[in-house]
Amino acid sequence: MRYLMTTNADGSAPDETLFAEMGRFIEELTASGVLLATGGLGPASILVSSSGGEITVTDGPFAEAKEAVAGFALVEVRSEEEAIELARRFRRIVGDGQSRIQQVFTD
Amino acid sequence: MVPVLDARRTIDAVWKLESAKIIAGLARLVRDVGLAEELAQDALVAALEQWPRTGVPDNPGAWLTAIAKRRAVDHIRRSQLQVRKQEQLAHELDRQSDPEPDDLLRLMLISCHPVLPTEARAALTLRLLGGLTAEEIARAFLSTGPAVTQRIAAAKRTLAERQVSFELPGEEELGARLSSVLEVIYLIFNEGYSATSGDDLMRPGLCQEALRLGRLLAVLAPREAEVHGLVALMEVQASRSAARTGPSGEPVLLHEQNRGRWDQLLIRRGFTAMLRARELGGPPGPYVLQAAIAVCHAQARTAEETDWAQIAALYGALARLLPTPVVQLNRAVAVGMARGPQAGLDLTDPLTGDPALRDYHLLPSVRGDLLARLGRPAEARLEFQRAAALTRNAAERAFLLRRADALAVPATTGPTLGSATRAFLADAGLDAATVRSYGQTLGRLGLALGEGLPLAELTADQVAEVFATAWGGAAARTWNRHRAAVRSFATWAELPEPAARLERRAEPRSTTTPLAPGRLDALCARPGLALREQTLWRLLNESGAGVRAALALNVEDLDLDDRTATPGITWRSGTARLLPHLLVGRTRGPLFLTDRRPGPARTPTADLCPETGRARLSYERAEYLFKQASAGLTLRQLKPRR
Repeated sequence: MRYLMTTNADGSAPDETLFAEMGRFIEELTASGVLLATGGLGPASILVSSSGGEITVTDGPFAEAKEAVAGFALVEVRSEEEAIELARRFRRIVGDGQSRIQQVFTD
Repeated sequence: MVPVLDARRTIDAVWKLESAKIIAGLARLVRDVGLAEELAQDALVAALEQWPRTGVPDNPGAWLTAIAKRRAVDHIRRSQLQVRKQEQLAHELDRQSDPEPDDLLRLMLISCHPVLPTEARAALTLRLLGGLTAEEIARAFLSTGPAVTQRIAAAKRTLAERQVSFELPGEEELGARLSSVLEVIYLIFNEGYSATSGDDLMRPGLCQEALRLGRLLAVLAPREAEVHGLVALMEVQASRSAARTGPSGEPVLLHEQNRGRWDQLLIRRGFTAMLRARELGGPPGPYVLQAAIAVCHAQARTAEETDWAQIAALYGALARLLPTPVVQLNRAVAVGMARGPQAGLDLTDPLTGDPALRDYHLLPSVRGDLLARLGRPAEARLEFQRAAALTRNAAERAFLLRRADALAVPATTGPTLGSATRAFLADAGLDAATVRSYGQTLGRLGLALGEGLPLAELTADQVAEVFATAWGGAAARTWNRHRAAVRSFATWAELPEPAARLERRAEPRSTTTPLAPGRLDALCARPGLALREQTLWRLLNESGAGVRAALALNVEDLDLDDRTATPGITWRSGTARLLPHLLVGRTRGPLFLTDRRPGPARTPTADLCPETGRARLSYERAEYLFKQASAGLTLRQLKPRR
């Protein structure tokens, strides 16, 4: 089962230790064959919306900086519980904030 | 908002993520995988007791490791207290307790150790490295939980008894040991990818498990090109999963798949692994070559763009390295695409007589495809029907039958091989035993030539060829029995007499003459002879007991010291030497067992060995094996002259 985990930015700047810990975590996930892809997302976002057939493109500021999605990880695990467990470990490393887990349908 | 927390399922998830590392570390400490797993399981039990109350700890892996290690230390103290001073031991344990990166590699090499039978290696690997339960493994391999438990227990016992080393092998041996690991991982992948039986074409859980193991191994043994080759092969094959089946679960052939449904992420991962394999250099091994073929397919944006010449060349290289009939068959497919169906068909011709492919449905399936493209629909249909009769997979059978029906073939008049044999068996006034015996012969004929073959087209040459493939190596009497069946059918159906090509074979004159002196020694000296056969033959020869009495023996009937068994059977040194090896660890149940456990649908109710799950060896099977080995003698002839 594949899950997409997205994480919101919490506004605070990451420090050296966090980078090192994250590096280790990502390395471990890669080694165990769980992590398929991961990446960080830029803070700026552009909103493309459609209303009554009209397409509008705007710089999409979020109401609050912490609502912006800061990164994602695509993992392949055996159950939802495993995905939750991985997210838990991730959150323990990065501290306050939110992550969201959604199953990715592959068939 | 409801927090998602089910403690038991969370623990299960943590276990699957952490168990391999815990067991691997413990195994280095206690030098026994069985014990290591038990200790790890103890920690799991402790977690199941505590976590529902206290919540899952921050670092569950470390928690489980700590508990398990404490148990290990207790265990070692208990068992070694007499031998070493406590302080010294504590010091050693301290020194050894840091996890080592090689622990997992060691565990993989041991789980896939060549002393274990392949199926045991797969089960043990899934258990120790995947953290799967016996039930989960059983579901994957269509077996039963207790059978898998027994298989795993036997494997652990073998590893302990053979005192398999926990040290990492040196550079030279590593390659050989790794190839056993690769074989197991690919076996697990294939069992998931092309389920050999059952109603589903795929069991995705197994594919994922194999991919996980492969990716892990690539990190543990990064300098082995074949490891990266296997990973590349599996990633690219897995990328096609979604496109391989149609809406009702039927298989979709590679060149008809919707390439938009191929998983680009996995393809890219496959390419990356392939690049790593190439960077390591050296002559490409079988997995790298197979991966290169898979990559070739993945690179084509449409089926028409497939570089078949390149694929045929790669198959040529693979066939030199790994000249198995299946590789030859795949090569024929590629050549058929690169140079036209006739060239492909020519390559399949020598394979039709290969006994290894006798029951392999892909051979007639490929031939059907090539014949259809050559504009020979009638022959193509027959091949598809034969393939359908041979496959054990329901989805595939339906697909093959549809392909057969889709061919425009002028309606055949007159009887087919199938309808004629059925009529013959019903009308020819044969007794029940003969119907059964003839049915066996003619059934094989139908399977080999196609039940739908018009009787008028059946030639003596075809029959002779089937005979050579199916029974060429059989004992004279078996050969003659099948020959009689075919002759009788040919006469009834007024067919050209095939007997001219099928000579009667001379049978040993008297079947009750005892064996010539020294003959048994010669038979027992055959290379590769199973221990079971050797023991049974010696026993019959030395005891003069009846075959049925010997086969009815149970382990608990034996008195090894006294060289007697309860129904009044006694033996001499030859048997006495062999018996302990045959028993290894078994204390009850039938003495002589079948090679394999019965399939789930065929589990007999009685006479199973309680320790291995295998059934008692049947008279028929024992007799057959002896006949094979001795070119037609019977077990009764082993009885010495009075």
